[in-house]
Amino acid sequence: MPQVMVVARNFMDMVAALPAAKLDMLYDSAFICEAVLRSLPPLAKKYALQMLYVSAPVAAAAMEEWVLDEYAAKHRVAIDRLLQLRVFVEVRDRRKEVSYKMNQKFQGNMQKYLVDGGSLPREPIPSSVTARLPTLAELESFALEQWEGNTFYLFLLIRSYCLNATNVHSPSKGTHSFLYGKIVLLAAIDQLISSRERDKFQLIHDENFSARSSEFKVHLISSLAFGIYLDGEAPRLTENGFQFLLMETNAQLWYIMREYISSAEERGVDPTELISFLLELSFHTLGEAYSLNTLTDVQRNAIRDLAELGLVKLQQGFVVVETNFRMYAYSTSRLHCEILRLFSRVEYQLPNLIVGSITKESLYGAFENGITAEQIISFLQQNAHPRVADKIPAVPENVTDQIRLWETDRNRVDMTLSHLYEDFPSKDMFDQCCDYARDHGCLLWEDAKKMRLIVRVEFHSEMREFLRRLR
Amino acid sequence: MASSKLYSDDVSLAVVVVDTNPLFWATAALPFADFFAHLIHYVNSLLLLNHLNHVVVIAAGLSSCTYIFDSSDASASGAADVAATFAKASRKMDEFIAEDARATSSNGSVADGNAASLLSGALSLALCYIQRVFRSGTRHPQPRVPIDSCIVGTQDSAFLQQASYITGGVYLKPQELNGLFQYLAAVFATDLHSRTFLRLPKTLGVDFRASCFCHKKTIDMGYVCSVCLSIFCKYHKKCSTCGSEFNRVMPDLNSVPDQRQLR
Repeated sequence: MPQVMVVARNFMDMVAALPAAKLDMLYDSAFICEAVLRSLPPLAKKYALQMLYVSAPVAAAAMEEWVLDEYAAKHRVAIDRLLQLRVFVEVRDRRKEVSYKMNQKFQGNMQKYLVDGGSLPREPIPSSVTARLPTLAELESFALEQWEGNTFYLFLLIRSYCLNATNVHSPSKGTHSFLYGKIVLLAAIDQLISSRERDKFQLIHDENFSARSSEFKVHLISSLAFGIYLDGEAPRLTENGFQFLLMETNAQLWYIMREYISSAEERGVDPTELISFLLELSFHTLGEAYSLNTLTDVQRNAIRDLAELGLVKLQQGFVVVETNFRMYAYSTSRLHCEILRLFSRVEYQLPNLIVGSITKESLYGAFENGITAEQIISFLQQNAHPRVADKIPAVPENVTDQIRLWETDRNRVDMTLSHLYEDFPSKDMFDQCCDYARDHGCLLWEDAKKMRLIVRVEFHSEMREFLRRLR
Repeated sequence: MASSKLYSDDVSLAVVVVDTNPLFWATAALPFADFFAHLIHYVNSLLLLNHLNHVVVIAAGLSSCTYIFDSSDASASGAADVAATFAKASRKMDEFIAEDARATSSNGSVADGNAASLLSGALSLALCYIQRVFRSGTRHPQPRVPIDSCIVGTQDSAFLQQASYITGGVYLKPQELNGLFQYLAAVFATDLHSRTFLRLPKTLGVDFRASCFCHKKTIDMGYVCSVCLSIFCKYHKKCSTCGSEFNRVMPDLNSVPDQRQLR
C-alpha cells in the first residue's frame, strides 16, 4: 500500500486521488499517459521507462536493488507515486510476495507513443480559415486586462469587508461573473501539470457567450475555499479570502482550478472528463485557434468557464451571408476586408461594416489564386456571425452549392493515366480483354469497331500478363 | 555510441554519436536497420520523459560526420508528426551513409579494410554543440559531460572505456542485442540527477593502455615525443604532431625487448 497520504497539492495529486476505475479510464488517452508520465519524479519516470516492455510482474525486492542503499527513501517515494497514479499495479503471489506490474493500458499507450508519437483529438484550425488571430502580445494584454479587472473587484470586496458595512458596494450579478472572468494565466495550470511552456488557448467562434449565470461561480462564492460569503446582497471577504488575495497569481489561479475540479461532481460534471479535457488543453499550441464544434457539452461548458477565467479567448464570428449572395461582415479590421476581397466584390466599406457580394467573377479570381471552394465555404462557416451561426446551415445552401458548382466549372477535364491497346488479332481476343479489364474495374474506354481499348495505368502489367496467357 | 547530458534536475541534453562504419556493420550481429530502430525508440523515449529534453544525433562515418537529428528543430512541427520526423532522420542517415561511402572511395584512404571511424571528430562536434547550448542558455557555465558508451560489437574499445571512465559515464557492452532498447532505456536514458541514486552497471576493468598516434594501435610500449608527449609504436625521425626532430638514432624496439623504451 502507498505509504504517503494523498494530499491535494497539485493537479497530479488530484488525478491520483481519483478512484481506480476512473483513473484507468483516463489512461485510454495517450496524451494523458504522456502528461502523467512527465509529472512523475525523475526516478519514477525512469522506472516507468524501464518497465515499459516488461509484461511480467517484477518483485518489489528486486526493484529495491535498483537504487543504492542510502537512497532507499527516494525509491519508496517513486514507487508510491507510481502506485498512486496506478502506473504500476501491485500483484501478490501465493507466498504474499509483493511484485509490481505496469498498468496494461498505460503500457500499451506509451509503447504506441514511442513508435508513432502522440496525436491530439483536435487539430488547430488552419490559418487559411481563421481570418485573423490575436498575436501573443494581444493575448497577453487580454489576460492582463482580465486580471486587473478582477483585482479591482476584489479590492471593492475588501473595502466592503473592512468597513464591515453590508451595503457599501453591492455588485450586481453581472459583476460576479466579472470576478472570475479575470484571474488569468494558464501558466499556473501548466506548471502544475508540468507540460509545455506557458499556454493560453483561444478558440474561435462561439455562437453565444453572453454572461451565463454559472453554478460554478455561485459555488465559488459560497465556498469556504474562496472565503467570500454572501451577506444579504453584498459579498464579503473572509480571512481565507484575504489569504487568497496575497497569493501569487499562479497560486490564485490554481486555487480556483482546484476548486473547479473538486466541485465538479456537485455541478453534475464528471471530474474525470474535466481533468482529461484540462490535460488535453495543456497540449494545445499557444496562439492557435481550435474549433468549438468538436467539443462535447461538458467540454463546451468548461471552455466557457475557462474563458471567464481568461484562460481561453473565445473569438466571435462576424460574417453574415444571405441567400441573395450578399455578404455583411461586421469588422473594423482591414485584414478582414482584404481577405473578403479575395473572393468577393466589396461594395461598401463603413467603419465597422463591410458589405460585399459573392459573384462568379470574384470567385473565379479566387480560384485562379489557388483558393478552393471548400476553403471559402469553411471560412464563411467558421466565421459566421453569432446571429446566423445557430442556424443550420450557417451559410445558405444555395450559396455553398453555387460556389462548388462554379469551381467544378473550371475543372471539366479529369485526367487519368492510362494505356491504349490496339491491333488485336481477333474480335474474340479483344472481347476477352475487355471483359477482363471490366471485371477488374479498370476499363476506361472501348471501341469495338476499331478494336481499341484503354485501361488504367496501374492495370497495365496485369493486362500484359493476361495477353501473354491468351497467346 | 556516446551520449552526454547537461545537469539541471532531470532535464537532459543528450548528444548521441552513432558509428556508421560500414566495415563494422557489414559483419555485426545486429543489422544496422534494427539498431537504428532501437535508437529512434530510445531518442523518442528521452523526448517523452521531459518536454524540455533535447536530443541530438550525430553520425560518424569513415570520412565525415554530420548532424542527423536535432529535437529543437523537430519540436516546432508539433508532437503529431513524430513518425514523419523520424522518417526524415532515417532518410538523412541513409543519405549520409551513401555520401560517406562515396567520399571514402574517392579519397582512397581505406584500403586495408580495417579503417576506424571519425569518432574523435564526431565527439568534438558533440562537445561543441553542448558548449554552444550552455553559452546561449542560462544553465551552469561549465557543463559536466559524462560520455556513455554502448558497444554493439564484440570487441571492447579501450578509447571509449577510458573516455567513460574519466568523464564518469557508463561503459556497457550489451549481451543480448535484440533487447538493445531495454539496455538503452534502463541505463542510458537515466538523467544525471537520478544517476546519483541508482546502481548503474560498473565497468569491470578499464584498459588503460595508450594508443599510438601513427596507427591507432593499442600498445604496451612505444616511443614518446619528448616535446609534445605524442606516442608512436615505431621510431620516427620527426614527430608528426609537433614537428620536433629527434637527432639520436634509437635501436629497433622489437629487437631489444628488455629495454625500457617509453621515454
